[in-house]
Amino acid sequence: MTVGMNMNIKILRRREPGAEPYWQEFYYEKKEDQSVAGMLDELNYKDDLKDINGNPAPRIQWECSCLQGMCGGCAMVINGIPALACETFLRDMKGDRLILEPLKKFPVISDLVVDRGIIQDNLRDVNAYIGEYKKADTNEYEHMYAAAKCLKCGLCLEVCPNYGGGRRFFGALFANDCYLIAARSSVLDKKIKKEYNVHFAKGCSKSLSCVDVCPAKIPTLASIGKMNK
Amino acid sequence: MKKVLIVGSGISGLSCAIACAKSGMEVILASPFPSERSQSVMAAGGINAVLNGRAGGDSVSAHIEDTLKGGCNIAGKEAVSGLCTAAPQIIRWLEKLGTVFSINPDGSIAQRAFGGQSFNRTCYCGASTGKQIVTALVMEARRYEGAGMIKRRYWMDFYSALIKGGVCYGAVFYNEATADLEMIEADGVVIATGGQNALFGKTTGSTLCDGYAEGKLFMQGVELKNLEFIQYHPTTIETAQKRMLISEAVRGEGGRLFYVDGKNRVYFLEEKFGKKGNLMPRDVVARCIDETQKEVFLDITFLGKEEIIKRLGEVYDLCLKYRGIDISKQCIPVAPSVHFFMGGIAVKNNHETNIKNLYAIGECASIYHGANRLGGNSLLAAVYSGITAAKDISMSAGNGKCEDFGRQLDEERERLRTLRQSKSVFPVMYIRDMLAESMNKNLGISRSERKISQGIEDVTFFLSVADKIHYDNSEMAYLCYSLEGILTLAKATLLCAGERKESRGAHARMDYKEKKDEYAAATIISYDNGAYKIRYDRGDEYEH
Repeated sequence: MTVGMNMNIKILRRREPGAEPYWQEFYYEKKEDQSVAGMLDELNYKDDLKDINGNPAPRIQWECSCLQGMCGGCAMVINGIPALACETFLRDMKGDRLILEPLKKFPVISDLVVDRGIIQDNLRDVNAYIGEYKKADTNEYEHMYAAAKCLKCGLCLEVCPNYGGGRRFFGALFANDCYLIAARSSVLDKKIKKEYNVHFAKGCSKSLSCVDVCPAKIPTLASIGKMNK
Repeated sequence: MKKVLIVGSGISGLSCAIACAKSGMEVILASPFPSERSQSVMAAGGINAVLNGRAGGDSVSAHIEDTLKGGCNIAGKEAVSGLCTAAPQIIRWLEKLGTVFSINPDGSIAQRAFGGQSFNRTCYCGASTGKQIVTALVMEARRYEGAGMIKRRYWMDFYSALIKGGVCYGAVFYNEATADLEMIEADGVVIATGGQNALFGKTTGSTLCDGYAEGKLFMQGVELKNLEFIQYHPTTIETAQKRMLISEAVRGEGGRLFYVDGKNRVYFLEEKFGKKGNLMPRDVVARCIDETQKEVFLDITFLGKEEIIKRLGEVYDLCLKYRGIDISKQCIPVAPSVHFFMGGIAVKNNHETNIKNLYAIGECASIYHGANRLGGNSLLAAVYSGITAAKDISMSAGNGKCEDFGRQLDEERERLRTLRQSKSVFPVMYIRDMLAESMNKNLGISRSERKISQGIEDVTFFLSVADKIHYDNSEMAYLCYSLEGILTLAKATLLCAGERKESRGAHARMDYKEKKDEYAAATIISYDNGAYKIRYDRGDEYEH
């Protein structure tokens, strides 16, 4: 592993829900092949974590499970761009400064951990399930496979200019779930189309920023195209 | 209405929740995070089932036989028979819920070869079978969530079970959102918390699966089983943040393992076992790689880029992203690493533990895999165990009256408050890291009395200091209070490994290389106030 210069890591922190946020900076000896997730791990397991002024700092709270881009837990804002920490590598960072912030469109639990429960709540409240199954056209399998890989990480919502955290517009992840239902439900296909119109089509201004940030590379545009037919 | 509390929301927890709700029971599905974060999404390879008219002469009895043989004949025959018989129906069920299985040109579900199996029996969804099943189950669970039958509770870390007089009445959780302990009572409690990865640090699996629930329940009187059988996946790749799994599907698609000797490639498995050598069971392949003492590579380049991307797209992406290796041009450097735990909570065929109304399902339960698990059988067991437990709970009498656990909760609150008031900066992860180092060194692929004894000595020391050290209170409360349970489970695991003086399946002793008839039974370990007791289940105590 290549070891390089000292990096300055600036993190927007909050000790608990509702507490005042504050910035805290740390030094980290840059390793090119390390990811942001791996770096956070290393910082946390230092004997006693100290900031750049030598003051003791509380351990950095962040969410992780798989550490390899499959679970969506470590979604955060890295140098202004929403991304998964485990798939963002220090070798791709320009300069020696790294700024980490929690996703801004969800309530903060602590530091980089946010409550994304609204994603599941919204999908539950519009009954986004298949119900009675009908076999889809075999040509649809590739698209369905890709859409079903949605991590529900919230990156598409974070970057979306139309998503404001509310219960009206549900964002790209909803469009993909709608497609999965419409393609295979024999009873709820029409109902889900109505929900799609209310909670997606009416609010989407087609900036398509969601497509760029999706870590699962879901062809959301194709889902939208099929749902709009 | 009967109330069921399910702890953990991966594939087994979801399957159980859906089956419970379907039969009219109220479900509380408690987990720290949503199902999308569970380890289940990482299961790559596939799910085994004998589908009618397919796989050229395969049969359910062959599936049963392969599973028992793979497990070195210490898994219960009745349990395995139930699992394999239900498999085709489970695949149809998953398909109807919307699981996007890979299909043949005629639209039927495709199947491929997996290690240790006599036929092409493994159904799969590209290289992300677990993820596709989770997506389908999450959608189906929503049906019952919308109807109020399943209530999800997030930010809930398991703390302990509510047990009195050999009966379970519910569980206590640490609620991260309120930073307080919370008690949930239920007629049936189902543990679905996954394997004990944290014993070995960062494994191929999720960091969320740590074995604490097993360890804590063990300390509360729940018996554990077959802890010494730990599966080393033969093909994992080193990256800067963890070892990552290279799916068995690569070998299923014809991948060949070799090492380099001078200018020649030595296909050591093919030399030893013939043409199908690369598809030997995982324990055999892992041990053979370990024995080479050389850097081993996996070659799939001959398949061509187009086919690799089509059939093994996720493996292609992983190697390129984390190691800069293009597997259509370069071979993959692989080594074995801890991957799956055949051992766990001892359960009867209905998935109930030795404590009434307390169940365990999925990887944290030990029942079907014996001394070694076949690839494709864990996803099957996850779904089947969830459904089986649900069925039993629906038929059970429930708890009727509830015991008063108020005082116990107050005492636990006080204990936790004291723990959290520490002014120390000592990270609890230090002990966890030392534990992982010792376990990897002393309970690896090749074991011996000397190494196991060293491991026991280390863990006994960690346990002796664990409750005397003050930990950094800025660390997650869960990490602090879970340490004792994890260490206790580690000690139990080492003791089981030391007691089994033979080599069987994934348990390979350098000092006892042969399989012995006297050990042809499952290991059961119990705990009573600091005393660990081991026995062998020769009378099929749990097989009913």
